[in-house]
Amino acid sequence: MASRAPVSGIPRRPSIALVAAIVIALGLVAARVVSSAVVPAGVLPDRLQDGLTLGMSVLIESLPFVVLGIVISIAVRVWLPDGVFVRVLPRSPWLRRIVISFVGMLLPVCECGNVPLARGLMVRGLTVAESMTFLFAAPILNPITVITTAQAFGWSGGILVARIAGGFFIANLLGWLFSRHPDPESLLTPRFAAECRLPAHEEHGTRWARSVQLFSTEAANLLPALFVGSVAAAAVQTLVPRSILVALGTDPIWSVVAMIGLSFIISVCSTVDAFFILPFATTFLPGSITAFLVFGAMIDIRMIALLRTTFSTRTIVQLFAVILLATAALSWLVNLVS
Amino acid sequence: MLVAVVSIATIWFAVGGRLDYYVHPRYLVFTVIMAGIALVLCAARAVMILRRPAVAADHDDEDDDPPPATRRQAVLSGLALVIAAAVAVGMIVFPPATLSSATALQRDITGGGTPAGGSSLSSAQSASNQAFAKFTVLDWSSLLAQTSDVSFYAGKPVAVDGFITPSPTDSANTFYLTRFVITCCAVDAQPVAVPVYLPDWRGTYKSDEWLEIAGGFEANQSTTSAAPIALVPSGVKKVSAPNDPYLY
Repeated sequence: MASRAPVSGIPRRPSIALVAAIVIALGLVAARVVSSAVVPAGVLPDRLQDGLTLGMSVLIESLPFVVLGIVISIAVRVWLPDGVFVRVLPRSPWLRRIVISFVGMLLPVCECGNVPLARGLMVRGLTVAESMTFLFAAPILNPITVITTAQAFGWSGGILVARIAGGFFIANLLGWLFSRHPDPESLLTPRFAAECRLPAHEEHGTRWARSVQLFSTEAANLLPALFVGSVAAAAVQTLVPRSILVALGTDPIWSVVAMIGLSFIISVCSTVDAFFILPFATTFLPGSITAFLVFGAMIDIRMIALLRTTFSTRTIVQLFAVILLATAALSWLVNLVS
Repeated sequence: MLVAVVSIATIWFAVGGRLDYYVHPRYLVFTVIMAGIALVLCAARAVMILRRPAVAADHDDEDDDPPPATRRQAVLSGLALVIAAAVAVGMIVFPPATLSSATALQRDITGGGTPAGGSSLSSAQSASNQAFAKFTVLDWSSLLAQTSDVSFYAGKPVAVDGFITPSPTDSANTFYLTRFVITCCAVDAQPVAVPVYLPDWRGTYKSDEWLEIAGGFEANQSTTSAAPIALVPSGVKKVSAPNDPYLY
């Protein structure tokens, strides 16, 4: 079970962890059976209950994508022959990153599912900068996102073009910036850097066994982060009145800031965010809508928690700053020309 | 463990017909399939651990072991696990619930645009009474956002259901009959509502109660409410929340 991976760094005897997990699972089932008889609906205060519903909603909605991301990542790490992925890519670093930007077209997982996949790509030999390019391009340059954005906005205000071109440009900008780092390994958490150093051929067991084990380690790495991200997103949503953000809608400068704030808080998947933001299109300028669609797809509360499993805090702050500045510049430009 | 808890909860909600409290129905099959795959992998891992001698398993761990965590990392991981465990227990212990009027108010029920999917003025102009009978809160609120011309609504019968959100400007005589519209999951839920003018409604009804209201739109008689037009009920019936409380 996922719980046996040493999350706090303290190795435990797996059999004890397993027994504990089964006991906890049975305890939870018993708690559910008892609580359904004892705990009436509406026992929690409204805001707390809504917070719980919102948090569970982020969690339940993200989980299938995270699981899918882990499964694809396992396919890349365990089942793809050694070096295939790295060999088929062009040699020039610029071209490589450009091609990698479009990998999301083949693997349409939304942003939270891309974290395990980017981890898998790094373990299989992609550089940190190349994986970042994939990680931040794929949520936007994927067929589902392109189709839903086109359905929602068509060609109006240049939003579709700005989103696709902006996503591509920012992801490659990040790739280029971080490719110049003298010690890319220091961008990662020590734990994940160590995992990347392990040569693939030293792993033992059948492929199936390795796949199952990898699923359990990745789930143990990512799930606590997903829970924390969901809780943070739910808490902020319950506490910050939406009207504060909407009030800033018509100002060409501040509306961009407001929309970046909204996308950060709302943590909605890039594949459907266009429909979510469509009703705001009457209040907000096209550049501000672009800000929501570009920034939110790349980074939000839930993503920060997930990125923390892989990148150091310092790296995440740098990523955040570059994405923020580049999105703001792009969106103000769209507001200027539209 | 956490992945197993969420997967079990997901399947549990799906069996009990409550999964659509959290995600859009179009994701139900995908969500359940992925939860099933996660559970199978968790079970496979459990079987692997049980069948393997403890020594070999321990050896595996040493191989994969990253550098020891610092104190700060350990505290953060511990905190993450505590939060995760609290949510996991919350998921299991408290009955599933939809969002309440508190969130409707917090999400700016009276402004901020109407979600896509409502009716357009031109289609509503020529619609039959049978068509109006099928109009939801979303359709009417979308029309109200397009025109506040009272004559447009004259003779158009209204029959809608939703829950009560008190009006922020005239909570004694006006409330909003509210539904949430979701595009992906409850987290993006946007409230849509029609103002209802019913003096002293609190004597009979309370916030968050589900009602079925028939009537027609008229100029709002409330002196303090911001809404120019309100639904004036000819019949009000208390109902239980529908199985699928959201609109899409």
